[in-house]
Amino acid sequence: MTREELKGLEQLNEFAFKADEAEKMLEIFGNMKGEEAVMDSFDLSNTDIMVHVMPMTNIFREDVRQQPFAREDLLKGAPEHTDDSWQVPRLVK
Amino acid sequence: MKYYISEINKDGTIAVDDTILVKGVLCSAGSHIMDGFEPLFSAEAVERLEKAGYKLSGKTNVGEFGLDLMGEFSYYGAVSEGGKLAGAAAALVKKGEAKAALNVDLNGSPRRAAALGGVDFIKPTYGTVSRYGVIPAACSGEQIGVTAASAEAAAEVLGVIAGHDDKDGTSLPQASYEYKTDEGVKGKKIAVISELFDAASDEVKKTVEAYAEGLKAEGAEVKTISLEEAKAAQLAWTVLSAAESCNNFSRYDGVKFGYRTPDYKNIDDLYVNTRTEGLNFLTKATVLYGSNVLSKGRYFDCYDKALRIRRLVSEKMAEIFKEFDAVLVPACGEASYEEYDIKEAFEKTYKEALFTAIPSITGIPAMATGGVQLMAAAFGESTLLSVAAAMERRG
Repeated sequence: MTREELKGLEQLNEFAFKADEAEKMLEIFGNMKGEEAVMDSFDLSNTDIMVHVMPMTNIFREDVRQQPFAREDLLKGAPEHTDDSWQVPRLVK
Repeated sequence: MKYYISEINKDGTIAVDDTILVKGVLCSAGSHIMDGFEPLFSAEAVERLEKAGYKLSGKTNVGEFGLDLMGEFSYYGAVSEGGKLAGAAAALVKKGEAKAALNVDLNGSPRRAAALGGVDFIKPTYGTVSRYGVIPAACSGEQIGVTAASAEAAAEVLGVIAGHDDKDGTSLPQASYEYKTDEGVKGKKIAVISELFDAASDEVKKTVEAYAEGLKAEGAEVKTISLEEAKAAQLAWTVLSAAESCNNFSRYDGVKFGYRTPDYKNIDDLYVNTRTEGLNFLTKATVLYGSNVLSKGRYFDCYDKALRIRRLVSEKMAEIFKEFDAVLVPACGEASYEEYDIKEAFEKTYKEALFTAIPSITGIPAMATGGVQLMAAAFGESTLLSVAAAMERRG
């Protein structure tokens, strides 16, 4: 992992790391790369992936009309809002 | 030192992790980024408890999103007892200030806190307790469990909250579960996994050995076995939980709820500064690692392999449980922990995952009791609770 590649990951995840944090992250990636080698010590060619630990089945049901949360309740937790919307900076210049 | 982030009822008896929603009660998940978040609904487990007549005492302090060892990196500060790190819920239960607590077990944090705090914590089989209303991090393995002073109290509360919930897509179909504590120990076959035992400190080893001697005295057969997949389970759960956390934490952007940076000129500043200021280094390191293992060049080399390791470990544990009733291992590597620099947290929690990852990645139940950790086959909670109860009666 290079500093440039790390910068890309930071941007992708909307973070801005300080220099010492970036340095530590590079160290973590280096260490974890070494740790990951343990997975290569097993022959996984005949082992299927396991996404869910318990058997999962699709359950279908009729749509049920319900009262949604009130708009004013949803807006109550917003850092900034107008009377009926969440408020963010202008997106189109 | 803050045990409760929000107090609910002075005469309440059940504490709830601050990663579990209670309607109308501020919820922080131990993070600055959740500032001011007031849930509009309660978690299913909370509703079930309240319906059964239990009163909540309050929301207990947790490390940011439950990622750390036992709450040391909560935005609201660490809980310590006698200069050593402690879990808030475990400490309250130990002091007798709460009968029990609900905790989310994502990386073994409540198991570790209970083992070091001298109380019990049971993480039930994945899918038996609804995760509806849990602030999500690593959804494929995290599970609500119960901290209590005794196996009987843990069984009582777990019996109330377990059972199918339509609102959780991963909830298993069984409507309810009954947990026993009277199966005893006599005749039980218990395995000690050498890879986990050998990795613990001498003090922890002594605790495990003493527990094993107690089991033998009660009529159990204890045998040491090897699980060569143990380290792979540790790595694979770190990969999977980081990848899932990365996805789940992308919702924290300062728009709809929680913290928003005061320092922004445009939408990009708003996102970046909010997330940079609002999340701690451990969370950010987890997100970056998760993002990396999901990236094009690394997906098949890392994430995909971790999913295969999950099956390998599950199959291996199923084989072990054909021969043994339970597994006895350390709950953590050290007998106590002191506060440390957050920059060391990712590697420290990774190291500790060796002891806690197997139940997280396979969904099997685990219980911290008597300073050690027991594991059983899926739906083997009564075995764990019965062994723990017998050993507690023994004193």
